[in-house]
Amino acid sequence: MSKQKSMWYEFYKGIWEINPTFKQILGTCPTLAVTVSVMNGIAMALATTFVLVFSSLFISIVRKLIPNQVRIAAYIVIIATFVTVADLVMKAKFPELSKALGPFVPLIVVNCIILGRAEAFASKNSPLRSFLDALGNGAGFLLALIVMGGIREIIGSKTFLGYQVMPNGFEPWLVMILPAGAFITFGLLMGFSNLYIERKKKIEMQQKISQYRKSANELKEAEA
Amino acid sequence: MDLLIVFISASVVNNFVLSYFLGICPFIGVSNKTSSALSMGMATTFVMVLTAIVSWLLYFLILVPYGLEFLQIPSFILVIAALVQFVEMVIKKVSQPLYRALGIFLPLITTNCAILGLALLLSMREYTFMQSVIFGLGAGTGFTLALFIMSGIREELELTDVPKAFRGAPITLITAGLLALAFMGFAGMI
Amino acid sequence: MKIVMHMIATLTIIGVIAGGVLSEVNDWASPLITANQKAETERAIFLVNPQGKSYEAVTNAGFEIYKVFDENKNPSGYSLAYEGNGFQGKIRMMIGLKSDLNEITSIEILEQVETPGLGTKVTEAPFKDQFNGLQTAPQVNWVKGKSPSQPNEIQTITGATISSKSVVAIINSGLEKARKLQKEGKL
Repeated sequence: MSKQKSMWYEFYKGIWEINPTFKQILGTCPTLAVTVSVMNGIAMALATTFVLVFSSLFISIVRKLIPNQVRIAAYIVIIATFVTVADLVMKAKFPELSKALGPFVPLIVVNCIILGRAEAFASKNSPLRSFLDALGNGAGFLLALIVMGGIREIIGSKTFLGYQVMPNGFEPWLVMILPAGAFITFGLLMGFSNLYIERKKKIEMQQKISQYRKSANELKEAEA
Repeated sequence: MDLLIVFISASVVNNFVLSYFLGICPFIGVSNKTSSALSMGMATTFVMVLTAIVSWLLYFLILVPYGLEFLQIPSFILVIAALVQFVEMVIKKVSQPLYRALGIFLPLITTNCAILGLALLLSMREYTFMQSVIFGLGAGTGFTLALFIMSGIREELELTDVPKAFRGAPITLITAGLLALAFMGFAGMI
Repeated sequence: MKIVMHMIATLTIIGVIAGGVLSEVNDWASPLITANQKAETERAIFLVNPQGKSYEAVTNAGFEIYKVFDENKNPSGYSLAYEGNGFQGKIRMMIGLKSDLNEITSIEILEQVETPGLGTKVTEAPFKDQFNGLQTAPQVNWVKGKSPSQPNEIQTITGATISSKSVVAIINSGLEKARKLQKEGKL
């Protein structure tokens, strides 16, 4: 790394700048599958964050001991261990949530966010940095799932976290809680976030142009 | 009859991609050409049937009798990774044309959550051996079908004027949503 | 050779540690998981047989059926868990029956994957409550689009006819099995 970035940056970059769901487009399967309600989304994100943080931390600690050729296999075993721990804890302590998430808790093991962060970050950085990076990416994932779950739950069953938020006269759009609703919501969210970024770039560009013109005019006036 | 229901359920009614959201990454990544979609689908189906066989044997003949169900996740993922490697080696030895057709897709399959999902679901539902094989075949067929239809639509989409911000993944997801709605018409067949 | 040894050693160590950690966690979690499952079954058994206070499982039945006793230890009925195909997948339910198997006390859907908002209405009160006190001789029937006129009829849900019919079909096949057991004197 050319210049040392601040610790705070390692954390907050995951929330928007490299948001795992919207920017890196990783972990799409759980994003679509479990966001029928906000509660499911939060549970899924917390389970994923748990696995992400502990495997990143652990991989970063042992990164120098693992021979390069077998690193992926070693990472997968470490990740699978933490996923099993998360799965067993959820089954033992939160049976309802575990049932609602079904096979998606064990499937955290193939969530590309985790292997992605392990390979791209934790294998090259200190434990503290890896920990913050994992926490930030987890927070970004949580944010994405809350947004997805929120939209789908409010429109699809007119509640938010189980409390009714839409007026009684509002007929819930069933399609939002069906698989089709997940695809469409995610597609639209991604499209609009692209649109927003595009606009922002355009405005910045225009500002630069007008600034340039202004200084050019000033120069001309000075010459005259 | 029972096997037929398992097949129909896995391939169309509860399509892996469109109603279980398994294998979304290749679905978005490899669905822009019909030819590569077909190859990817076939390679995945092949690995799925093998995974069904191997993970059934592993789970019901080794893990369950010895009370080692908690090792399910690590052992499944290692077995799948090894299996994909093995298939790649065998295909390379046996048939060069087949290797050229499927070869580049095989490494991608290891990280395809549809494969691990298949293994987890068949142990969760306690399928018999035959049911598991048919389940793997059905899931693979369903995956190929979804990928093939999607690639056909995307080839047409290339020629349309999609707003710039929605090109690529966003429009693919929205189209997938419409496709998922269409697939709901299959519900009720079982 | 040294590298290969190193590789094997690393993977073995990681594997052993992972296995050890998991077996510890599993030792802690598995009694809790079993207890959860048992509590859930028990809750459903008494939910469909509200006057029940204790129960025992009927052995050698070939499916899950529980004999329920009231507070005076007199048999008050049966709770049977039965499953079958719904609209999109398996429906698993608990059926509460009086001792003569001719009246349903109530039913509870345990697991289902029906269409949200339509098929899932089978788990909700207006549909489920139709089964409270429903006669089962000779079998449960359904009617569509009109109010039931017989004591053994229920009305299907608009927009979820197949799910409703599936529930009735599951009850009937469960009943058939239970009656056969009773005839053989195994209940």
